[in-house]
Amino acid sequence: MRPGRLIGKIILAFAGFMAVFPLAWTAVNSLKNNVDIITRVPRLVFTPTFDNISYIIGRDSVMTGLYNSVISCGVAVLIGVMLGLPAAYAVARYPNRFAGDIQFFVLSLRFLPPVAVAIPLMVIWLQIGLYDTLPALIVTYSLLTISVIMWLAIPAFQAVPKEIEEAAFLDGYGAYSVFWRIALPVAARSLIGAVAFSFVLVWNEFLIALMLSSSNAKTLPIVASELSQQGMNVPWGILNASVVLLSLPPLLFLGVLSGFLNSVFRQKKT
Amino acid sequence: MRRRSSLPVTFLVPTLAILLVLSMVPTLYAIVIALQNRELSSSDYSWVWLSNFIDLFADRRFLNAVWVSVKWEIVTVVATMMVAIGLGVLMFEVASPRLRNIYCLLFIIPVLLPRVSAAFVWKFAYHPLYGIATYPYRLITGGLIFDPLSKPATALFAVASVDVWQWGLFFAVIVLKLLETLPPQPIEAARLDHAKRWQIHAYVTLPMLKAPLISLMFVKMIESLRSFDLIYVMTRGGPGVATETLDMYAFSQGFIESGKVSYASAMAVLMMIATVITFTMLWKRVQA
Repeated sequence: MRPGRLIGKIILAFAGFMAVFPLAWTAVNSLKNNVDIITRVPRLVFTPTFDNISYIIGRDSVMTGLYNSVISCGVAVLIGVMLGLPAAYAVARYPNRFAGDIQFFVLSLRFLPPVAVAIPLMVIWLQIGLYDTLPALIVTYSLLTISVIMWLAIPAFQAVPKEIEEAAFLDGYGAYSVFWRIALPVAARSLIGAVAFSFVLVWNEFLIALMLSSSNAKTLPIVASELSQQGMNVPWGILNASVVLLSLPPLLFLGVLSGFLNSVFRQKKT
Repeated sequence: MRRRSSLPVTFLVPTLAILLVLSMVPTLYAIVIALQNRELSSSDYSWVWLSNFIDLFADRRFLNAVWVSVKWEIVTVVATMMVAIGLGVLMFEVASPRLRNIYCLLFIIPVLLPRVSAAFVWKFAYHPLYGIATYPYRLITGGLIFDPLSKPATALFAVASVDVWQWGLFFAVIVLKLLETLPPQPIEAARLDHAKRWQIHAYVTLPMLKAPLISLMFVKMIESLRSFDLIYVMTRGGPGVATETLDMYAFSQGFIESGKVSYASAMAVLMMIATVITFTMLWKRVQA
């Protein structure tokens, strides 16, 4: 068993290394001058430069992209919270004969190929004059955030012990105040995970943003992908810096999401 | 809980109404557009009914895209599940609780990255001259060039490796958590019968996890369909049409090459019908 365990540990350590090394290398490259990146042998020792990062932060298109991403994702997540959480609670706590169908409908929204949604929406937004605007993006993203939040919040509400809610009813709380004062706070941990997850999904979204914006409403992923098409002289350092900037917001949720996974699987045990 | 209250109605009806409108309007409109001959460059159109669909089946590039999509689904789903189960079981067997936590955190990082970022990270890594992933090859062969993204035979696998990097590691975390929720008695019993470790997992633990593992595979099948961003950044469907999946082809027909919006929409509608039918059938079977 001994050599087997050792090999297993080595494989795991290698997988752990593979998980972070490519991104870490990109981060290192964002601190290099082009000459230090374009080398046949990867260079570990170099004089760091902040030119790439300051170039990225100083560019108008990047800042506009960042602003568009923050606004469109933020508002869409807010709409998702306001509409998705109550609906999820109603499905979880007031069972009716449509509950199964509702859950399947919400999941089935995920099957829709994004192209199939983006093409008609593009034509529609063009016709009503909202093409390439943030409201158009927000409405489209809301479909995503509402359905994802609902899908993840139904089990979170179901995991709240019924007895607590029963007790609150006996104390004279109404249905709405039970939701506000009991269900929401008790399920909060899992709910925050669900909301963070939906934010990461829309932040990472690319195809819909690419098709629904042409200049004004471009989000950060689109701006980043365009930086790579600047002719023959590829600005490697700048590209690496933009990849790092784009990846930071989802990584901020790393702790929340791993806690969310833990709480989801702890519930299954009981 | 069975009190009369207006809550279910006020909480559910508006949300479901909005979801229905937001999903049905584009879906139905996609079908309408597919039956017309709209182009990006002009606003006139007429009804051509099924001719877009008939043209599709005579279009060899479309048939190629269908084949590439099928290959993509099979390669990414199978490889993701293999990596996930392999690493999940390994963590369960050889890692201490503390190490498990560290690995779990590390393995979630790739899936959080925007696909555009992941695609760029690996596009640099696969660069034939300066890439870090091709460096070992250059080192061993004394400077020969290995360019996986521009060879038709390897391009699909090179892009798929990024997808597996993102999802396989993440699913390994879930497989580990699933293994941790299993009751310990059957494992103990098998151990008393002198079963080897791999036998315990192959015959005891993984069969016990059959249902959640199938659900995981189902999720991956859905997510694999959203490979557009990876392919768009890494290869743009190339070299030639070696990595041109259905959504990539629909996008380039509709927006890059010819602006044939209706033709692209016809393709999207076919994709939609295929996925809805397949996944509905699979879902009913998973639930049963």
